[in-house]
Amino acid sequence: MPAAIETRNLTKQWGDLKAVDKLDLVVNEGECYAFLGRNGSGKSTTARMLLDFIRPTGGSSELLGGSGSDPDIRARVGYLPGDLNLPRTMTGRDAFNYFGGLRPSGESDVRDSLVERFGLDPTRPVRELSTGNRRKVGLILAFMNNPELLILDEPTSGLDPVLQEEFRDLLAERKADGATIWLTSHVMAEVARVADRVGLINEGKLVKELTFEELRHQATTEITFGFAEPVPPSAFEDVTSVAAVTQDGVDLVLSLNGPVGAVLKRAAELDAIRVETEQNDLDTIFIQLLSGEEQS
Amino acid sequence: MSATLSVYRRWIRDRRLSTVSWTLGIVVIIVATAAFYPSLGSTTASIADGSDSGEAMSSLLGLSSGIDPSTPLGYLWISLYANIVPWTLMALGVALGTAAIASDEDTGALEYLLSGPVTRTQVAFARFAAAVSVLLLVSFLSGLSMVLSLPFFDLTESVTTTAPDGSSTTAPGATVGDIATGTFSSFAVALGLTGIAFLIGAATGRKGITLGGASAVGIGGYVLYTLSSMTSSLDFLTWLSPWRWYVDDVMLINGLTWDVTLPFITATLCLLIGWQAFLHRDLQSS
Repeated sequence: MPAAIETRNLTKQWGDLKAVDKLDLVVNEGECYAFLGRNGSGKSTTARMLLDFIRPTGGSSELLGGSGSDPDIRARVGYLPGDLNLPRTMTGRDAFNYFGGLRPSGESDVRDSLVERFGLDPTRPVRELSTGNRRKVGLILAFMNNPELLILDEPTSGLDPVLQEEFRDLLAERKADGATIWLTSHVMAEVARVADRVGLINEGKLVKELTFEELRHQATTEITFGFAEPVPPSAFEDVTSVAAVTQDGVDLVLSLNGPVGAVLKRAAELDAIRVETEQNDLDTIFIQLLSGEEQS
Repeated sequence: MSATLSVYRRWIRDRRLSTVSWTLGIVVIIVATAAFYPSLGSTTASIADGSDSGEAMSSLLGLSSGIDPSTPLGYLWISLYANIVPWTLMALGVALGTAAIASDEDTGALEYLLSGPVTRTQVAFARFAAAVSVLLLVSFLSGLSMVLSLPFFDLTESVTTTAPDGSSTTAPGATVGDIATGTFSSFAVALGLTGIAFLIGAATGRKGITLGGASAVGIGGYVLYTLSSMTSSLDFLTWLSPWRWYVDDVMLINGLTWDVTLPFITATLCLLIGWQAFLHRDLQSS
């Protein structure tokens, strides 16, 4: 499958600071790739290099088989910056007409349906809009020309939960239509529904790449057992699926990475009087993965 | 419509309100100053004899060529075209040159434009052309307001003065050609500074640096020129100042000289150097 985005040893360095460090990345056509990392980890710098806003100090990148500096390539790309800024006097409608008019395949019916879908008043100057409404303008601008490749920097930042859901629906539709999506985020749950693969970037380095299924398997379950009298953590040490045990008064908190049957059997033998379960959410996994990489 | 033309038109459209404001401001100043000619023409003549003003003051007022401020053209030169008109147009030029690239880049708006199918070259040339167009339009309207004001305030009338020895001289009234020449030379001096502002903005992408740098060049050139009137040791530096040719040549009265090409050459060089700098650097993040 041909690559929609490909970087080879892509590096951006300012003085001693390596914002992006030898990034090798391949995003295939039709794929949704989530680029996750903490604030300042190099996500936006990568996006800015892909679109030729800033030039790499090493390595190279390609979009849709060409250079991000080529206007013919950029005509096929929809971009949402982390913070959309437009000229002061420009209204949403002005922006749609102007930026849409620069591209060869502007379709006003697509644009109008997106305006309706996101419930935007396009007659107001963009500078007067709230953060969320400015985000809507940016999303409509990114999607309205049905681009082959979407580069979305923190796309749901500032959107309320209902609009976040609407955005994820839209993303799934475009993905089903064959568009390639590359999005950055620091919230893993936000990309869970649509991403095929996830790349974790930390301090400019791509530290881990995995499919979403692989990511889910990293999830651990926590079980808390309550006892009438304190029970030592060593009581569960020989149970194979127990990764860790901590004591909290008369409670024992167990982290599991396997079947729960043996754990429940041991808890019954110890006369547990209460049980609570909790599965780590994706954000916790994200933090665990990054913590692990930072320690290694 | 080509991308270059779209960028050009949009940039001008985004400046409609400020262009109207600048035009109104300069037109009001011009008409109000012209209106004072019938009553102030003779008063300013007392300054012209130089008895209570030194070289620097004369230079400051644009009197270095021995211009008689009691004549229509002398009055217009000393009260408008030696200072207020070029200064106002230069201020506008700095604002436009800064807005061409640096202002939008500072806010992040330029980055978004360049995410589309538009090249940096198209943006640089379209916006420089748009900045020059706005400057030209405001200059033209300022000149037009002056031309329309002339007959209302006796500025088309010739003036005859009699010297103590009994000899008399007649100075002609201001004509459309005089105003066109004076306005064009003022536009030219402002164009040079527009180019410098464009160059700094294109090279740095920072609004504050551009505004400060271009203003410093404009004011510094003026200070250099007036100081050189007091001490000839600084004279070699005044070739850097557009005021040297602008004030010395007095094109409003003496007609156009080849010196008027200097700011066009400056602006063209600034455009080309700024364009190359803009092509080869990183965009600043907002």
